[in-house]
Amino acid sequence: MASSGPAQSLKRRDPPANREADRLTVTPLGAGNEVGRSCVYMSFKGKTVLFDCGIHPAYSGMAALPYFDEIDPSTIDVLLITHFHLDHAASLPYFLEKTTFKGRVFMTHATKAIYKLLLSDYVKVSKVSVEDMLFDEQDIFRSMDKIEVIDFHQTVEVNGIRFWCYTAGHVLGAAMFMVDIAGVRVLYTGDYSREEDRHLRAAELPQFSPDICIIESTYGVQLHQPRNIREKRFTDVIHSTISQGGRVLIPAFALGRAQELLLILDEYWANHPELHNIPIYYASPLAKKCMAVYQTYINSMNDRIRSQFASSNPFDFKHISPLKSIENFNDVGPSVVMASPSGLQSGLSRQLFDRWCSDKKNACVIPGYVVEGTLAKTIINEPKEVTLMNGLTAPLNMQVHYISFSAHADFAQTSTFLSELMPPNIVLVHGEANEMGRLKQKLITLFTDRNAKIITPKNCQSVEMYFNSEKMAKTIGRLAEKTPGVGETVSGLLVKKGFTYQIMAPEDLHVFSQLSTANVNQRITIPYTGAFGVISHRLKRIYESVESSTDEELGIPTLRVHDRVTVKLESDKHISLHWASDPISDMVSDSIVALVLNISREIPKVVVESEELKTEEEDDGSSKKAEKIVHALLVSLFGDVKFGEDGKLVINVDGNVAHLDKQSGEVESENEGLKERVKVAFRRIQGAVKPIPLSAS
Amino acid sequence: MGTSVQVTPLCGVYNENPLSYLISIDGFNFLVDCGWNDHFDTSLLQPLSRVASNIDAVLLSHSDTLHLGALPYAMKQLGLSAPVYATEPVFRLGLLTMYDQYLSRKQVSEFDLFTLDDVDSAFQNVTRLTYSQNHHLSGKGEGIVISPHVAGHLLGGTIWKITKDGEDVIYAVDFNHRKERHLNGTALESFVRPAVLVTDAYNALNTQLPTKQRERAFIDALRRTLEAGGNVLIPVDTSGRVLELLLILEESPLSYPIYFLTYVSSSTIEYVKSFLEWMSDSIAKSFEHTRDNAFLLKHITLLINKNELDNAPAGPKVVLASMASLEAGFSHDIFVEWATDPRNLVLFTERGQFATLARMLQADPPPKAVKVTMSKRVPLVGDELLAYEEEQNRIKEEALKSSIIKEEESKAIRASDNASDPMVIDTGNTNISSEATGSHCGKYRDILIDGFVPPPTSVAPMFPFYENTSDWDDFGEVINPDDYVIKDEDMDQGAMHLGSNLDGKLDEASANLMLDTRPSKVVSNELTVQVKCSLTYMDFEGRADSRAIKSILAHVAPLKLVLVRGSAEATEHLKQHCLKHVCPHVYAPQIEETIDVTSDMCAYKVQLSEKLMSNVLFKK
Repeated sequence: MASSGPAQSLKRRDPPANREADRLTVTPLGAGNEVGRSCVYMSFKGKTVLFDCGIHPAYSGMAALPYFDEIDPSTIDVLLITHFHLDHAASLPYFLEKTTFKGRVFMTHATKAIYKLLLSDYVKVSKVSVEDMLFDEQDIFRSMDKIEVIDFHQTVEVNGIRFWCYTAGHVLGAAMFMVDIAGVRVLYTGDYSREEDRHLRAAELPQFSPDICIIESTYGVQLHQPRNIREKRFTDVIHSTISQGGRVLIPAFALGRAQELLLILDEYWANHPELHNIPIYYASPLAKKCMAVYQTYINSMNDRIRSQFASSNPFDFKHISPLKSIENFNDVGPSVVMASPSGLQSGLSRQLFDRWCSDKKNACVIPGYVVEGTLAKTIINEPKEVTLMNGLTAPLNMQVHYISFSAHADFAQTSTFLSELMPPNIVLVHGEANEMGRLKQKLITLFTDRNAKIITPKNCQSVEMYFNSEKMAKTIGRLAEKTPGVGETVSGLLVKKGFTYQIMAPEDLHVFSQLSTANVNQRITIPYTGAFGVISHRLKRIYESVESSTDEELGIPTLRVHDRVTVKLESDKHISLHWASDPISDMVSDSIVALVLNISREIPKVVVESEELKTEEEDDGSSKKAEKIVHALLVSLFGDVKFGEDGKLVINVDGNVAHLDKQSGEVESENEGLKERVKVAFRRIQGAVKPIPLSAS
Repeated sequence: MGTSVQVTPLCGVYNENPLSYLISIDGFNFLVDCGWNDHFDTSLLQPLSRVASNIDAVLLSHSDTLHLGALPYAMKQLGLSAPVYATEPVFRLGLLTMYDQYLSRKQVSEFDLFTLDDVDSAFQNVTRLTYSQNHHLSGKGEGIVISPHVAGHLLGGTIWKITKDGEDVIYAVDFNHRKERHLNGTALESFVRPAVLVTDAYNALNTQLPTKQRERAFIDALRRTLEAGGNVLIPVDTSGRVLELLLILEESPLSYPIYFLTYVSSSTIEYVKSFLEWMSDSIAKSFEHTRDNAFLLKHITLLINKNELDNAPAGPKVVLASMASLEAGFSHDIFVEWATDPRNLVLFTERGQFATLARMLQADPPPKAVKVTMSKRVPLVGDELLAYEEEQNRIKEEALKSSIIKEEESKAIRASDNASDPMVIDTGNTNISSEATGSHCGKYRDILIDGFVPPPTSVAPMFPFYENTSDWDDFGEVINPDDYVIKDEDMDQGAMHLGSNLDGKLDEASANLMLDTRPSKVVSNELTVQVKCSLTYMDFEGRADSRAIKSILAHVAPLKLVLVRGSAEATEHLKQHCLKHVCPHVYAPQIEETIDVTSDMCAYKVQLSEKLMSNVLFKK
């Protein structure tokens, strides 16, 4: 229900406050001009959404977190996780368990299933000290209960925020979120790829154009080679290395792209019987566990893999064997090993790298995007020497190949995606500053004629945009039975549900909304021993309409004040008040209670005079008195107030003169401002001095 | 004025016939559900056939025959060509249900109402939606938004919400408010005050015992029979309610073998395993935590033909077999076999369709004997086979003859062509790389094998010679860059040929049946079966019962209510109840009776000025 409060009217003339409601803020808390710890904060109309909650893989401990201290986690309504990669989801247990966040978290089914596996593994392998641990397995387990799932295209509404997600391509279960707050749509792509690969679908093109598109820019202006050429290079490098007796190391993240690479390798091996004696190892403890997930959420994958699945499980690899640790690895002769982590920071991939890097027969294939600050990034530039884990330096003789299979959009995909979507505002995140800058320049030249704003905020730098949405209300029910003409006023209850407005007659409220109407009938009994006539008399002095009658059932005298409050003489010692609760009746009844209590206290002093005489005198006296009060109050407000001719008051403020007609409240003045002020002041004084008129209801 | 809404039942009102209704919204015709019964009675589709070509979209709510059985027939025979909308499970399980129906029928009769290809093509243009997905229609239906919501009852079961201009029309039949093992309860209660609600009165007179009690009784009944050395037959549907029964049995402590026998049982379970997103929260949760797929059935053996059952070790067992109506399919055959043994039990978990064998057996008291038709498809032998082969040969010969005639004609043309050019020695045979001529060479090969016969007009026969000239320019020989491009080895090849198969996989036996072109015929004989086994009916239909329906309707409180499907008494009962307690506008139309449920609500739009809105303080 609507009512206007005085607090709001103060703000009214304040233009920034007015625009406050239309301001949409986007603040990257991570992934602003960097890759890693994706976390983007968005707020509009008092609703707050956080996209992703990742960590930075190159840092550890608290330093890896996004800048959560910039925001108040308790104000966030919804947290949306696009996919399970560590740089998008790994600070979630921390955020859920160690902060004041109390909103709702959503991710897709597949993401949730893999999230748990992945983070448990992350906790196990990260070698930081206990104090530096952001969360433990218990936190992950507890966070699982708080995470809700959303299916692709399913529309969910939380607190007036509507959102749904589209396939993003990137990895299994990856989603792009479209958020709709009060008709303003924001698309957050997360990591996406518009290219269909062996098992994933390409990212969808949303049906609606968003007002803001927050888009990844990992690959900036680079272009990917076509997929089949990349696959060919990949298999050729491996084939030639092993045929020369070398070993191939593929440092890859355990989940996501690794499955794609394994599919390629398994198929290549199947087509090349001469390779069957060369082992391929997949060194990940997660591999087996995740298979169940990959087999179950087959519906999120593309048609190709689904039809393949119908005949046999494509993720049941025939030529690939698992490898638990380096101890179990029998390193004789050529082999292909896929091991995590992808950045060669530590772990098995690093151990193998240290062992193999000085032999020029060996090869290292880096199959995806590598984050700044990791060894993998260093060796792409092929330095002469590298530092091993034990601190010694060794020559880097092995061949290093960089063949990107990471399913991020390249420039061609990004630009076509944006030109088809045509968002008026584009916010770039998730990209190195340089790449992002180049992409921004190129997009600006591409979209010059479209007047699209392209913004590249740094971490914690807020982007403010204003959306002035026109608000329409639908008038329904009996209020709409006839359409009002020009200049007519429509009055009814304004009901807001989410961001839609309806105007309806109060009687229709229960028909068109879930709101129910109820009347509260109040009854209060007050001890009173005096005469009932005294009350009646006193009330008449305050209220214009006081009717005496007798109760039909009980035969006791009653008074009805303004048809709102009924006063009954219950017994010799008690009177009772009855009224239907509403602000005015409550006030009236309050005053009656006070009056009755006063009478009880003052009763000895009361001298009953002749009623008629009193009223006349009173009428005369009270009107004079009122006039005096009005004058005094006006003086206190305006200073120079004189009685003018024909009973008008002359108010003089700094040379501006206003004439006030006390009877009608008409004001004449040259100065419009003064005229208004006097008018308002007089109206209020009148309201304070005069009895409450009947029309107040 | 509001949006105009009309509802016309095409089948399934005042009785328990399959469901099929026409809802038109501002002239856009939705066919909601397209059901058929297990008799495949074409007379039921008469009303549909009259409007089929005017239908703009089809919405399917459940995956059983009663809700979508007539789709292939309507698409092929009645001129229905509208796009179809359904959830992924309804699409997939509906497809399997139709396969099972067809295969069961084909075994016992010359079933020709539709073929497997018709089923495939009918399901080919199904647009699959997820729950709560708002799908905006385009073209004629501009402005209409449809969205499926959880109905319970069957996996993927749908309540359809059709919205135009803020007015909701909700179609909710066969919903279940109870949360079950594999399904969540319906989301119907989350809709409040829709303009129109179309619902069924099927269960308006039924009451149910609490789930736990029913399940205990179910297991007890099975145990009693099994311990006494009897077999239990549970006639089930192909892929609907049976899933819940499978989970109950999977969890039960019974140590007797349990078989699930339909033509598509293994693919049903295979697909169901990948539908976890559509199932209950508890199943999803257990998968997330332990990665145990609830439908990895350990105690239940999936069978796809009856021989396997016959080969199974003797002794008490539980068999779940389709169809639930006992009219066809494995359940029919097993019933005939087992009915005569008093130790056996036939346990019905749903009410049989009207006038089916299952319904007859559920009568109280059960009949002492029933007449059944045993049909069997047998390969042709002896004279019949000969006759068939002769017929086939005759057809073949005719085809051959006509092709020979054609060939000769083309030869004649060819010969005249050759005659006009004296230098040509049949380039078609030498220049094989040229595709256009290459296609002809097959026909002429047999001529050439006989020897080198120069065309009669040839003056000086010689072997063809092609001069390999190359162009030169200032930079040397002109090359074609295309020749040097590394051929993109298409690594997908191995798998792609599978991709074309729409339905993915069918069980081998089914595939055999389809591919089995051996001449065969159907032999039927009628026999009377003495029903000596015990018969029990327990309600595992998974539909809201009378009390739940009433309380849900009271909660939803639609402005207008349309009642369909349900016996005449049930419909009348619910109508009277709703008139009293739910809303004053309750309709229960007859078949082909169009009722106008356009809301009489007026509305106009008002723009709220910035000045007003900045002063408004909303309170809850």
